[in-house]
Amino acid sequence: MDAETAKMLAAGLGMGLATLGPAIGIGYLTGRAAEAIARQPEASGDIRTAMIIGAGMTEALALYAFVIAIILLFVA
Amino acid sequence: MAAEDSSKVVEALHELNVQTVVSIPKVGPFDFSITNAVIYLWVSALVVFLFFFIVSRRLRKEPDAMQTFAEILIGFATGHLTGQIGEKGRKYYYLILTIFVFILTTNLIGLVPKPEFLKPYTPTANINVTFGIALVVFFMTQYQGFKRHGFRGYMGSWLLPAGVPKALAAPLNGVFFTVHLVGEFFRPLSLSVRLFGNTIAGHLVILVMLGLILEFSSVVVIIPASLFIVVMTAFEIFVAFIQAYIFSLLSVIYIEGAIYAGH
Repeated sequence: MDAETAKMLAAGLGMGLATLGPAIGIGYLTGRAAEAIARQPEASGDIRTAMIIGAGMTEALALYAFVIAIILLFVA
Repeated sequence: MAAEDSSKVVEALHELNVQTVVSIPKVGPFDFSITNAVIYLWVSALVVFLFFFIVSRRLRKEPDAMQTFAEILIGFATGHLTGQIGEKGRKYYYLILTIFVFILTTNLIGLVPKPEFLKPYTPTANINVTFGIALVVFFMTQYQGFKRHGFRGYMGSWLLPAGVPKALAAPLNGVFFTVHLVGEFFRPLSLSVRLFGNTIAGHLVILVMLGLILEFSSVVVIIPASLFIVVMTAFEIFVAFIQAYIFSLLSVIYIEGAIYAGH
């Protein structure tokens, strides 16, 4: 395996694996938020804000891997 | 796969390249050339300025569509975003509203299809632009922390609260301080990477699909790919709003944390 192939493999595998954690996290988060809204619809505004903040934080983890993958493919 | 096979897909990605429009000689390591990214930043700044300028010149008792939209934006920034800082946060709504509207405009201008001679580019799909905006928030946060609590007070808010036994506090304070310091410096990084990653990922997906259409010009590919592009573009408009919202909301939360440090 030459260096070019290794870079492409690393970028693809890294991106795919890095999506697993945030996917579970955002799924859990949104499910819990939906439950909370169903239980207490009058608090849906606050719950939605908290959910979006959490989703943004979680999503950033996958995006770090995305940046790494771009660096591997085009810069390294 | 030979290099010329993938050329169509790669060609479609050229929209993400920065192209120099007016070349200015380098000053030391700094390149001040006017690129298409700079031009689109100017365009979005001009759009934001003109929008609020025109609205503020023709205020009426019965607002028209433009004034209503501006009022909604200002109400959103004062109420929902900076409202959570409380009375002390009243004056930061200028900064937060500017960040929100500017990022939103830049994102949306990047989504407008443009012909080749306009050198299409999305400034927020460039990490330098997003990191610049995040640095403004970072310096604002630290300035507020040092101004309101003084050097000792602000640094003290990063340590354990008073009342912890000395023998326990001495080793733990070092750990607390280091963790807090690293966290403080990672904030602009995560802010900028979030906006940059979301914007560029959406554009990449759309451009790769366009490249696929050019590559395999057959009905089997064109119909699902075009449908996917339409859905994806609609989703990108949603993402443009959400990302502008998250960026300004997190900025508010960081500034709030510095204002009320140690509480």
